[in-house]
Amino acid sequence: MTRKKHISNAIVYIVLIVISVIWLFPFVGLALQSFRSYISEFGGMVNYLIPKKFTLDSYKFLFSGECQFPRWYMNTLIIAVAATVFNTIIIICVSYALSRLRFKGRRALMNIWLVLGMFPGFLTMICLYFLLKMLGLTQSGAVPGLILISVAGAGMQYYVCKGYFDTLPKALDEAARIDGANRAQILLIMIVPLSKPIIIYTALLAFMAPWCDFVFASYVAFGYSASYNVAVALQQWVWTNDFQGYFTRFCAGGILVAIPVTILFMCLQKYYVEGVTGGSVKG
Amino acid sequence: MEEKKSIGSRIGAFFRWIGRDLADIGITFARGDWKTRISFLVVGLGQILRGQYVRGISVLCLAAAMLFYIFGFGLSYLKDILTLGTQGRGFNPDGTISLGDNSFLILLYGILTIIVILALVLVWRINLRQNREAQELLAQGKALPSNRKDLYSVLDRNFDKTLLALPVLGIFVFTVLPIIFMICVAFTNYDYNHQAPAKLFTWVGLENFRNIFSIGGEGYGGTFFTVLAWTLIWAFFATFLNYFLGMAVAIMINKKGIRFKKLWRTILVMTIAVPQFVSLLYIGKMFASDGLVNAYLLKWGLIQKAIPFWTNPTYARILIIVINLWIGIPYMMLIATGLLMNIPEDLYESARIDGANSFQMFFKITLPYMLFVTGPFLLTQFIGNLNNFNVIFLLNQGRPQSMNLKGGAGYTDLLVTWLYKMTINDTDYKMAAVIGIMVFIVTAVISLVVYNFLPSVKDEEGFQ
Amino acid sequence: MKKTLSILAAGVMAASLMAGAAVTAYADDITIWVAEEVTDFTKEKANEFLSSNPDFSGFSVSVEPVGEGDAAKNVLTDVEGSADLYGFAQDQLARLVSAQALTPLMGDNAAFVSENNDAGAVSAASMGDMIFAYPLTSDNGYFLYYDSSVVTDPTSLDQILADCEAAGKGFYMEINSGWYQTAFFFGAGCSLSYETDEMGNFTSCNVDYASENGVKALKAIIALAESPAFHNGSSASNAANCAAIVSGTWDSSVVKDMFGDNYACAKLPSFTVDGEAIQMSGFGGFKLMGVKPQVDADKLAACQALAQYLSGEEVQLARYNAKGWGPSNLNAQADDAVKSDVALSALAEQLAYAIPQGQYPNDYWSLATSLGDSVISGDYKDASDETLMSALQSFQDSCISYAK
Repeated sequence: MTRKKHISNAIVYIVLIVISVIWLFPFVGLALQSFRSYISEFGGMVNYLIPKKFTLDSYKFLFSGECQFPRWYMNTLIIAVAATVFNTIIIICVSYALSRLRFKGRRALMNIWLVLGMFPGFLTMICLYFLLKMLGLTQSGAVPGLILISVAGAGMQYYVCKGYFDTLPKALDEAARIDGANRAQILLIMIVPLSKPIIIYTALLAFMAPWCDFVFASYVAFGYSASYNVAVALQQWVWTNDFQGYFTRFCAGGILVAIPVTILFMCLQKYYVEGVTGGSVKG
Repeated sequence: MEEKKSIGSRIGAFFRWIGRDLADIGITFARGDWKTRISFLVVGLGQILRGQYVRGISVLCLAAAMLFYIFGFGLSYLKDILTLGTQGRGFNPDGTISLGDNSFLILLYGILTIIVILALVLVWRINLRQNREAQELLAQGKALPSNRKDLYSVLDRNFDKTLLALPVLGIFVFTVLPIIFMICVAFTNYDYNHQAPAKLFTWVGLENFRNIFSIGGEGYGGTFFTVLAWTLIWAFFATFLNYFLGMAVAIMINKKGIRFKKLWRTILVMTIAVPQFVSLLYIGKMFASDGLVNAYLLKWGLIQKAIPFWTNPTYARILIIVINLWIGIPYMMLIATGLLMNIPEDLYESARIDGANSFQMFFKITLPYMLFVTGPFLLTQFIGNLNNFNVIFLLNQGRPQSMNLKGGAGYTDLLVTWLYKMTINDTDYKMAAVIGIMVFIVTAVISLVVYNFLPSVKDEEGFQ
Repeated sequence: MKKTLSILAAGVMAASLMAGAAVTAYADDITIWVAEEVTDFTKEKANEFLSSNPDFSGFSVSVEPVGEGDAAKNVLTDVEGSADLYGFAQDQLARLVSAQALTPLMGDNAAFVSENNDAGAVSAASMGDMIFAYPLTSDNGYFLYYDSSVVTDPTSLDQILADCEAAGKGFYMEINSGWYQTAFFFGAGCSLSYETDEMGNFTSCNVDYASENGVKALKAIIALAESPAFHNGSSASNAANCAAIVSGTWDSSVVKDMFGDNYACAKLPSFTVDGEAIQMSGFGGFKLMGVKPQVDADKLAACQALAQYLSGEEVQLARYNAKGWGPSNLNAQADDAVKSDVALSALAEQLAYAIPQGQYPNDYWSLATSLGDSVISGDYKDASDETLMSALQSFQDSCISYAK
C-alpha cells in the first residue's frame, strides 16, 4: 500500500515539475531576452534563448530621455489607481442595492444588464470614441477618458460582489434598523467592514485590467504618445513596422510591467481565490 | 414563472397598461385642483406652491434641462434622422473645406434626442403623480412629507436611487446609447465608401443582413458560417479542456502527501498575474516558423523542416487551444481547489471502504459534485470564450487568411476578432455592426437554452 | 425628490454633451505625424522653418511618431482628430482621398510638386488629374539584402534557397502581401492597375492575372513557399534566422547590424518556372506627405508652406544624410552622395525592372493576403494548372469588382 502510494506520489511530482517548467518557460524566456543588448548584439527577434552577453541596455533605454516609458507607466498607474477606487465604490453600491434593497424594477434592471453584457465590447468602440471626443477626453485627454469609460461600465460587474453580500445574514440589517440606523449607515458601518475579502478582490481586478488594455486605449489616445499607456506603447514596438529592432526593449518593458502587478497579485492571492471561487459557485 | 407568458399576452398587457395610465392622467386632471392642473404645463410648480421645494425644484430643473437640450440642439439633428443628412462636404476655391452634414452625429444625437423626449415624458408623469399624491394627502387632512424628510429619504427609503443613479447613468451613456447606435448602423451603409464626416451614409434596410447570409459570389455567408463554426468549436474546447485539466491539476496538487502545495500553485498563478499582452505576444513569437520552438527542434534534429504552426489552419487552431490551456488551467485550478475542499471527506471514506479506487471515486463523487456546483460557471466561461479576443489576437491575429474566406477573415478568427478587424483595418462599420448583433444572438440563444437545462437554476431569494 | 436623482443626472449629462459639441476651437498648433525614425529630425526642421518665417510666427508644431504604414488606419478613425500634416505610404492615398482626409493641391502648390519631383512620384500623389500630396521619397521599393558569406549567387532565387538551406538559414519574403507578390506576377508579364477619379473612386481595372503568365508566377510562389529555407516576412528585425531578405531601404540599418561585414545588397533575383528564368519585378513606391483639410485659411496656408518645405530639395537631402531616405526631388536625386549609396543603387537597379506603383483599392491588399496565405498554408500544393487558373480567375474577378 505505501509502496503504491510512493509510486503514485512520484508520478504526481514528475507531472507537476514538467508543468512548472512549461508554465515558467515563457517568463524565463522573456526575462532572458530583455538582457540582450540591442546595441552590441541585436534588438530584433533571434532564435536562441540565452543572450551572448547580459546587459541592461534595454532597461537603460526605457529610462533614457529618448523614450517616454516613465510617462506611459505613470499614465497606466493613474488609470489603474483611479479605476480601482471608483470602480470598487460603484460595484459596492450596486451590489448592496441589488442584494439588500427591494425596489420596483430591480429584476428588470438585472435582466437588462444581463442582456447588455451579451453584446461584444468592441462593437461600440467607434461610438464610444466620439462620445469621449465630445467631452474632450480623447488624444491629449485620453487618460481621464479611459478612467471614465472604465468607471461608467463598472456597475455591470456586480455579480461576484452581490453574491457575497447575499451570503451575509439579513438579521444583521434588521438588528441595525431596530437600533435606528438608516440604510446608508448599514452599508457603511456593517456591510463594508464585513466584506473586506470581496472588496479587495474587486479592487484587485479593477487594478489589473488597465495594464492589459491595448485595444481601446490605443483607439482613444491615437496619435498622441504622451497619453499612451504601457500596453499601447509596447505592443506597437512589436507590431508596427516603424519600430525596427525594438523586441528586446519590448521584453524589458514587459518585465517592468509584469513585476509589480505580479507581486501585488501574489500578496492578495488569497482574496482572489476567495472571489473567483465564490463567484463561480454563485454563477 | 414569468417566461411562460406568451409574447402576445405581454404586448396586450403593455397596451392595457398604457390605457390605464392614460386614463389615470385624465382622472388626475379632472379631479385636480389648480395647483395640480398648472403642473401639467409647468412641471414642478404645484409641488413648489405646496411648499415641497425639494421635489418641485428638482423636477423643474430636470425638465428645463431636457427642454433646453431638445429645442436648443437635439431637434436640429432629429429632423434629419430619416435621411441622415443631405448636404455633403466640399472644398472651397481657396482650398479650405466647408462642412456639411455629419451622418454620424445626426444618427447619434437623433437617437439621444428621442431618448431625452421619452425621459421628459417620464419626468412629466412623475411630476403628475407627485401632485396627485400630495393633493390626496392634503384632502385626507394629513401633513405633506417635509423637505427635510425628502432629503433624508435619499439615505434611507430611497437609498436604492442614490446608489444606482450614477452607475445607471454611466451604463446608459456609455453602453446603452452606443449599443442602440450600433444596432442602427447595421441598417445603414456606413463603411469606407461612406465615411463620415466626409461622406454621407444612409439607411439601407436589411441589405447587410442579406449579405451576411448569402452564400457564394461576393456574399459573406460562407465566411460567416466558417467563422461561427470555429468560434463555437473553440469555445467548446477552450472551456471543457481547461475545466477538466484544471481540475486534474488541482487534484494532483491537493493530493495527500504532496508537498510544496503553495509553490506549485504560485507558479501556475503567475499566468493570471502577468498581463497577457506581454506573455501571449512572446509565446506567439516563440512558435513562428523561425521562432524558438522550431529553431530548437531543428537543432536537436527532431524535425527536418520548420513546423508551420501559424500558417497551417489546422495546426494554428490546435496550437491556440493548447496555448489557451496555459492561460486557463491555473484559473480553473484555483476554483477547483476551493470547491474540492467542500466535498465531505466521509463520502470518500465510505467509498474507500467499499473498495473503490481513485478513478472510480473521481467519476462517482468528485465529478458529479463539481458539475452540479459549477454549471452556471461553465456557462459564463463558455460565453466568455466566445468573445475571447486577447488569446486569438495576441497570438496570431486570426490568421491565416484564405481565398476561401471573404472580408479579410482568417481561419482562427473568432466573430469578435473579425469584428475588430473590420472596425480597425477596414472601417467597415456596417458589417462590424451586423456581426456584433450576430454575436449577441448566438450568446443569447446559448444562454437561454443552457439555462433551461441547468439543474441548479435556483430561486435567488431562497439562497439568502 | 422622489425617483428623480438618476434623471437629474441624465439631464446634466445631456447638457454637458451639448456644451462639448458646441466647443470647436482651432488651435494654432500644427500637428505632424511622421515615422518614428524621423520624428526628431522633422521637429527640428519644422521649427527652423517657423522661426525663419515671420508670416507664420503665430503657429507652433508638435510632432508625433505614427507609422507611415498605419497612417490611413489612424486618420480614418477620426479625420478631425488626426494630424494637420502626416506622412503616409502611397498605397493609402485612395482611401484618404475618398474620406476627404487630404486637401487637394491647386495652383502653385500643384506646380511645386509636379515640377520638382520625378514623374513616378507625381503620379503616385495623384488621383485622376488632381494632386493630393507632397512626395517625400522615391525609395519605397524593395530589393534583396543578403549575407555574402552564405549566398553565393544573388541573381538566382533557386541558388539563394539552396545556399540558405545548406547553411540552415532562411530566405525571407512577404509573399502574402500584395506589395511583394507583384514581384512574381509583374515579372512574369502580368499587369494589374486601376484608373481613378478625383473623388478617390476606382473607375476601371486593368488586370490579366488569369492567364498563362499568371499561372507561371503563382507556380513560382508555390514552389518558393515549399522550400524549407523560406520564411514569410519582410521585417528584418523579426527575421530570427536570416541569410537573405527582400525588403526596402528602411531596414538597412537593422540588416547592417544583422549581417555585419557580410552585408550586401542586390536587385531581386530571377525565378525559374518550367526551365525558364524570369527576372522579378515589383513595385517602385513613394512616401508622401498630406495636408488635412482645414476650415481656417491662415492655418491652411501655414500647413501648405510647411509641407512644401519638408518635402523640398533642402530637407529631402538633409533627410537622406541623416536617415538615408532616398529623395524624390529631382535636384536632390542628382546629388553625388545619393547616387553612390549602396542600398539606393541596388534599389535603382531593381527599379529598372519595377513598375511605378499606382493606386490600389484597400480590398486589393486584403485579397492578396488571402491568396498568399492560401499558398503558404498549402492549399495549392501539387495543384493542377486548371486549379491554379480558376484560383487566379476568382482573384481577377474580385480585383475587377473593386472598381465601379
